[in-house]
Amino acid sequence: MVIKQFSILSGVTGVVVLIAAIPLLFVLYSSFQLSSERWIGLWSTRLPDLLANTLWLGVVVAIGCLLLGVSSAWLIARRQFAGRTLALWLMVLPLAIPTYVFAYIYTSLLADDGWLGMAWVALFGEWLAIPDIYTGWGAAFILSLAGFSYVFLLARVSLMQASPSMEEAARMQGATPFEVFWRVQLPLLRPALAAALAVVVLHVLSDFGAVSMLQYQTFTLSIYTQMEGRMDHQAAAGLSLVLVMMSLTFLVLERFFRNRQRYFSSSRARRFQARKASGHELVLIWSCLGLIALFAFILPLIWVLHWSWQAWSEELIGTEFWDYTRNSLLLGVIAASATVIVALPVALYHTRIRSWLSSCYLHLSSVGFVLPGPVVALGAITFVLTQLPLLYGGMVVLLMALVVRFLPLAVQSQEAALQQLTPSIEQAGRVLGAGPLENLWRVTLPMVRGGMVTAWVLVFIDVLKELPATLILRPIGYDTLPVRIWIESSEEMLELAAPAALMLILATLPALWIMMRAERSRC
Amino acid sequence: MMKQFKNLGLMLLVALMAMPVVQAADDELIVYSGRSDKFVKPVIKAFTQESGIKVLLHSAKSTALLNKLKVEGERTQADLYLSNDAGNLQLGSDMGLFQPLPASVTDVIDPKLRAADGSWVGLSARARVLVANTGVDTHFVTSIFDLADPRLKDRIAVTHSGNGSFIAGVTVYMEAAGIEKTRNWLKGVKENAGGRTFDKHSKVVKAVASGKRSVGLVNHYYIYRHLDKKPDAPIKIIVPDQGEGEMGVAWNVAGIAMSKYSKRKAAAEKFVEYLVSKKGQQLFAEVNREYPARKGVAASAEIPPLEGIKVAPVAMSELGKQRNATIDLLEAVGMP
Repeated sequence: MVIKQFSILSGVTGVVVLIAAIPLLFVLYSSFQLSSERWIGLWSTRLPDLLANTLWLGVVVAIGCLLLGVSSAWLIARRQFAGRTLALWLMVLPLAIPTYVFAYIYTSLLADDGWLGMAWVALFGEWLAIPDIYTGWGAAFILSLAGFSYVFLLARVSLMQASPSMEEAARMQGATPFEVFWRVQLPLLRPALAAALAVVVLHVLSDFGAVSMLQYQTFTLSIYTQMEGRMDHQAAAGLSLVLVMMSLTFLVLERFFRNRQRYFSSSRARRFQARKASGHELVLIWSCLGLIALFAFILPLIWVLHWSWQAWSEELIGTEFWDYTRNSLLLGVIAASATVIVALPVALYHTRIRSWLSSCYLHLSSVGFVLPGPVVALGAITFVLTQLPLLYGGMVVLLMALVVRFLPLAVQSQEAALQQLTPSIEQAGRVLGAGPLENLWRVTLPMVRGGMVTAWVLVFIDVLKELPATLILRPIGYDTLPVRIWIESSEEMLELAAPAALMLILATLPALWIMMRAERSRC
Repeated sequence: MMKQFKNLGLMLLVALMAMPVVQAADDELIVYSGRSDKFVKPVIKAFTQESGIKVLLHSAKSTALLNKLKVEGERTQADLYLSNDAGNLQLGSDMGLFQPLPASVTDVIDPKLRAADGSWVGLSARARVLVANTGVDTHFVTSIFDLADPRLKDRIAVTHSGNGSFIAGVTVYMEAAGIEKTRNWLKGVKENAGGRTFDKHSKVVKAVASGKRSVGLVNHYYIYRHLDKKPDAPIKIIVPDQGEGEMGVAWNVAGIAMSKYSKRKAAAEKFVEYLVSKKGQQLFAEVNREYPARKGVAASAEIPPLEGIKVAPVAMSELGKQRNATIDLLEAVGMP
């Protein structure tokens, strides 16, 4: 019985992974056509710089996200203070802003006649030049602002769920608060941080929006150049292959460090009581969180509102904006639901069975996330046109590409939730006579509901923001908000790009609300 | 739990039912467009009013759409392909993605501004010009090659070399002035740009207007776009390389081609015929202050009149054929 259950699960997982691996097969196929001279050419001219740039960006953004995410999570999880809910929201809201919008906003804010540019000149005068955002540091700054919320979310949950007894024990043994943080809290946080950093780094590796706007040469940008500038699919595939290997190495390492320690949260009888913040702590907390929020959300929001208002007063906003919003929401709901459902067997399989095959499945399923959007898109088109030509023309190709792209996000968060389940609960279900399906439905799924909702929301938000694949694969005339932002901003029409960005932020709000509510009920 | 799942199911169902019919109606023309919507919509509106034929714009990057056309092959839904760069049109033509346009269309367009085999026609032309700050002495700047003049160290503004217009311009210089001269020029430009390029043409104009830079290299209409917003901006246009023995200004066209697998050929031809008609030309070029590709149609009064301008003698189709060679050169020089 147990064997049979697993073989069905394994079969379903296999199919999912196969679909997810289609773009990889496309990349493999195309790069095999690359002659050895051209490989050598790529190795000697482009690869060293690209490797260095991409790695550097990944590391710096990871550090940036850790600093911002862990500090804000700790403050909010461990202190009771006025405006805590507001602060919580402010730390999550940056997720609603796509990196290309972030980059766009900051390039215009830091221009000579931008708000920040003018403020800078007023503050420092001529003797200190306005910081140049068209650098690696600029890209790292943008991507850290856009990504630290992932670290914040997972670190916060982990901090809240940790059992207080360990910290109390450490305090009783005479550890200073810093030692407690460094030697007790941080190690306990490690699985959550590893998962969050994986998401952050994968986002960095696959980011196109910020690096293209800031012209910072990473793998993804270079793959674009090969593909779009030169129409050279083979070189693009070759570079993609290197990118995939790099990401897989990273993922395997991350897994390796995570697998060495598994914690089961046991009883939740005693929960953390966040201490009430004193007066000057309150000032400190808010100046820290306020600074983060200012750059990561408030300033961009004001900018977007300002330009949207401009557009509104010039009567540039027509009814078609509602169509774009509806298109975006619809796509987000369908794609997120499909992704979460498809991801469940993969997550379940990997939690239940630790084998060479299950790890293989897991890593293969994450390939779509690191491949640049156009590569995934071309892979999906090629597959559908050659294998299932009748499905071409509608939404299917786009949905397929989006599911493939965001599958790992859903797998990651569902797996994290599944791992926290004490195996004994499921065993109890079975002992009490529940069949495998009934057990899944009545015991497992309810227990991981929070994780599933989180997965859904994360995918929904990413689908909502997704640009490159949507741009190529959307059905004819099916414009979404990011597509409009791209169209308007490529002709430098700020007034028209801003309302679409505003709608995007608004459209994300309900999803974030669902996630935060699910989290509250879980904790 | 069950309730949540039911809710999810319900949401899915509603979503699926609300799914729009995405298949375009049979009589609706589908145009893959790499040109800004804003500059295409007015002429489409006029065409639909006149002919009753609806036109659906599917906008994305020109090159991405070309990739898409290529992969889709005969299953494409596109009837027409519109691009802002002659290079893309010629590449598509070389890949055999288009079918010849009728003589009624090609005959009215200057042969230099269309494909020899009639697989695409130019609709509007733009000039690659210099913009200079009027408050700075730039009397010695009359050619784009002067951008490499040491006197302009740290004073020029150019876009990064991934920009399509930049690449097309360099292709023209390469063809008209030779590869060695272009290579040396690029080295000088790299030096004079001081390691700082701009991601948008509008920012090039802005940098010149603010006096941060003295001279910039742009498509002509960006200058007038800036002047729309700030009529007093201290900038002027320099149409380069007009002197005796000089190559003339670099030119590029936006143009259109018909997909080889168009299922609405008659309507597509009608649309292209409208685009090259006098009225269509006026509408198409005027919104972006470009030069109409059809002779005898007046350009916007603000831009320098076409009659006095010497244009570099490079066939537009070369922009496609030589593009990879240009990118190779840019990479060899290491242009940012």
